[in-house]
Amino acid sequence: MTIRHHPSTETLAAYASGALDLGRQIVVASHVERCPACRGFVRGLEKVAGVMLEDLLPAPMSSDALARTLARIDREPPAQAEATPVLPASDEPALPACLRPYEMGRWRWVGPGVQMRPIILPETDKLRVFLLKGAPGIRLPQHSHEGTELTSILSGSYHHEGGDFLAGDFEEADDNVEHRPTVGKEAACICLVALEGQLKLSGFIGALLNPFVRL
Amino acid sequence: MDGKPLAALDYAQLIAAVAKHQDRGAFSALFDHFAPRIKAYLMRAGAGEALADELAQEALLAVWRKADTFDGARATAATWIFTIARNLRTDRFRKEWRHVPVGDDLPDTIDQAMSPDESLSDAERGERVRDALRLLPPEQVKVIELSFFEDQPHAEIARTLGIPLGTVKSRIRIAMTKLRDLVSDLS
Repeated sequence: MTIRHHPSTETLAAYASGALDLGRQIVVASHVERCPACRGFVRGLEKVAGVMLEDLLPAPMSSDALARTLARIDREPPAQAEATPVLPASDEPALPACLRPYEMGRWRWVGPGVQMRPIILPETDKLRVFLLKGAPGIRLPQHSHEGTELTSILSGSYHHEGGDFLAGDFEEADDNVEHRPTVGKEAACICLVALEGQLKLSGFIGALLNPFVRL
Repeated sequence: MDGKPLAALDYAQLIAAVAKHQDRGAFSALFDHFAPRIKAYLMRAGAGEALADELAQEALLAVWRKADTFDGARATAATWIFTIARNLRTDRFRKEWRHVPVGDDLPDTIDQAMSPDESLSDAERGERVRDALRLLPPEQVKVIELSFFEDQPHAEIARTLGIPLGTVKSRIRIAMTKLRDLVSDLS
């Protein structure tokens, strides 16, 4: 499988440096997990960051910092086999590993042939992260965004004016983009999406749906 | 051993000593070296001093807890510790600091991504990265550092450096593209 659409270099750099918020970090991680090229780049950036960390002018720690940390270590329970989180049986095949730590809401109907399932993050003020599932061949309502949208295609495919997006691909759209994706006919398409701001649906169907689609 | 920086190789050995023997002396040496650097990293990324101090302690506590997952063949001590601090930054930085115990609750994309780096020592691997960075013009290294380590919007970088916003953007783009070529040679 060849991955053709990747996060921008800037996005990968922000990911590697920890500058992304948690929601975007997760969506980029889901791509990096399955993309050897991006993983190689991120790994290289982490090496650079390790060197930069070594070279930083140290900021002196508070005087009791080490003592306090050692005291916390003393209070640690003795090492035990790492508890593997018990995962609720998932109805989705092979969700990316980066989603494992997070709870998910239920699938919700958002439109004909379209469902979404929120990922519950400790902090989701401006940003929403969710799985989006489109039925085979469905044409999603035309929409635009108030902010950026990151999409990682987990399974299936969709296409729009910007090209064909298959499982493993990644799409970054900003508020200038207005597109109308169509899901591939062969299978449902499941994406992991981080969305900033509201999704605005346009067109007749969109106008009908907008009040209901609170993505 | 205070004051004198240990060779990078030794930091990897110290982590191993923590993993194998819960060696507090080794941990203290790691703490003395890395905690102030993580604090500096977090402060440059915009954390206040108190928060950066707490998070640096938290990062070293995570080093203690996760020491047995460190694989010196895959990453240098500095790179591994950076990724721990980076994950803490993503997880906590934008929130008000609360005393929440660190759980292994973040996706650890790094461990799986690392491939063995044969027999190079940490110090040699660090040098290779430095050599690669030396191939970039200093003004490009500067924008990489600013955009990479500091959570500065491009407009602010432009002000800091006294150059137009468009120049910052193009410089970052060019620098990142070059960096991309350089680091793919490193991996």
